[in-house]
Amino acid sequence: MDGFSFYQLQTSTVVLLLLAFYGGTFLLSMRIGRKSENVDGYMNSTGAVGFGISAASMTATWIWAASFYAAATSGYKYGISGPIHYGLWGALMILFIYPFGMRFRKLAPEAHTLAEIIHARHGRSSQLILAGSNIVGSLISLMANFTAAGALVAMLSPLEFVHGVLIAGVGTLAYTLWSGFRASILTDVVQVAAMLGAAAIIIPAVFFSAGGTEVVSQGWDRFTAEQANLFSRTAFLEQGAPYFAAVLAYAIGNQTIAQRLFAVREDMIKPTFISATVSYGATVIGLGMLGVVALMVGLEPAGGDHNNLIPQMASNYLSPVLIGVFFIMVIGSLSSTADSDLAALSSIVMTDIYGRNVAKGRVDPKVMLWVGRITMIAATTAGLVFASYRIDILSLLVFVGALWGSIVFPVIASLYWPRINNRAFTVSVLVSLVVFCLVRFGLVPLEGGSALVLEAFATIGAGVVLGLMAFGFFGLRAGLVVGGGAALLLAPFTFGFLRDYTVLLSSLNAYGVSTVLCTLLTLRSTENFDFNDIRRRVTNFDEDEHAGAADVAPGATQPGRA
Amino acid sequence: MQDLVMTAYILIWPVLVGIMMFIMGRGVMRDFSRARRNGEDVV
Repeated sequence: MDGFSFYQLQTSTVVLLLLAFYGGTFLLSMRIGRKSENVDGYMNSTGAVGFGISAASMTATWIWAASFYAAATSGYKYGISGPIHYGLWGALMILFIYPFGMRFRKLAPEAHTLAEIIHARHGRSSQLILAGSNIVGSLISLMANFTAAGALVAMLSPLEFVHGVLIAGVGTLAYTLWSGFRASILTDVVQVAAMLGAAAIIIPAVFFSAGGTEVVSQGWDRFTAEQANLFSRTAFLEQGAPYFAAVLAYAIGNQTIAQRLFAVREDMIKPTFISATVSYGATVIGLGMLGVVALMVGLEPAGGDHNNLIPQMASNYLSPVLIGVFFIMVIGSLSSTADSDLAALSSIVMTDIYGRNVAKGRVDPKVMLWVGRITMIAATTAGLVFASYRIDILSLLVFVGALWGSIVFPVIASLYWPRINNRAFTVSVLVSLVVFCLVRFGLVPLEGGSALVLEAFATIGAGVVLGLMAFGFFGLRAGLVVGGGAALLLAPFTFGFLRDYTVLLSSLNAYGVSTVLCTLLTLRSTENFDFNDIRRRVTNFDEDEHAGAADVAPGATQPGRA
Repeated sequence: MQDLVMTAYILIWPVLVGIMMFIMGRGVMRDFSRARRNGEDVV
């Protein structure tokens, strides 16, 4: 790569590190493994998991390999505000979902997936739209993490890309397969300790090794005016705003978050998700600062690929021992997310495909468990195969994230507004998806009347994003005031302007079109849904284990599942 | 002064990470203690 040579760990060192990591994680998962796992526990553990384990697991799940690389890229490109515009909005995805998560738990204390709740609310078509989008998202995330493993191993050792992909895939599957989500969250505790511990050491180590305050005093000259500005408009429009628009979309569209909402002790949802927000934000923004330091020292990314920034900084400024620590940090981040994706995929197929549609609620728990395990094996195989093609997975994930914007309002509103019916949900999502694709791929001329219409829907979409955030924390009136007010305040700035930012325009249209259509169709609806029906329809699957007296943890409102 | 502020801006994040590790670590230990005390599974 253009004259830069990365520090190479010896093959034996890398193999030992990977064996220690995956072997140790496997042994840990065996400690909680049971000969006969409970299907509900396989998907959501006890439903009363404590604060510490839940917060650690949510942090570990949300930090993936791309978190570091993208944050550093953002720091390098946009300067001092860059890492904030990546890390902060990613952290807010965790924060803004928890008020809605409390609603999900109140409506369906025994739910396993969000799609399952939507099935109880609207029926199969709505459920499968949400479940399908969750599956696509988790598969793409899995591929991205395996690809990152391959790239890391190839970069820092004599081993090949395919070796890293295979070891990460097989290693992650091995410790997740038997106990599912239970193994995922327990191993997350160890993985997050490794990740955060490594980050807390590596960030100051690189900074001081690069020169400390001397680097800072000499580095100002390398910043452009925008890069030196903490309130950079460029950074906000190109990095922050599209990511901000995706905050609720990722939170709703990603089953890994929903699983943790359903697993944690109900009275611990708020402290868990606030802690995970701060942990994620601090870690990712901190590692993004390595991109800022790289800019200050005048580093050029090897091969012009910004993903090489952090490995380059590690190679240049860390001792061999700390490079090993860095290696474990990245492996930990991608494995913790990959095992969460496997657990998410298995729970969706178990619940939304087999449980609610094939078996129609009358499941055979043994069959259900094997459906879950076979799903994990199939997903890992697909992930390994596609990772070997080295597709630009991140662009795909950004695309899927924007697609999820189409389902945010219909999903959230369905759980509060009794008049919404299946037709309103399904039609609004599908039309919104079509509009999103037309705009995103430039199939509609962005000029004249069409541009104005799209900018109008995007303005509404921006209001919807802010309004939903306010609604979650402060209620309906606040949501309407903030949403309406934001749209009105933003209108003078969006018309004639957003047409030059296709990604942002299309993302906001996904929100705006689905909201307007869903609302219009709902106003014509005569439905008056009884939300108590959801609790009656969404129950545990493994009833044998729940017969008799339940073992209830303090603060929990449902029987322990496992 | 500007250099010191920037240095603090870079180093505040690993400090926050350390604080959160302590808070979550303490929480994990309490989860295990509670589970052992009540004879329950921790996950």
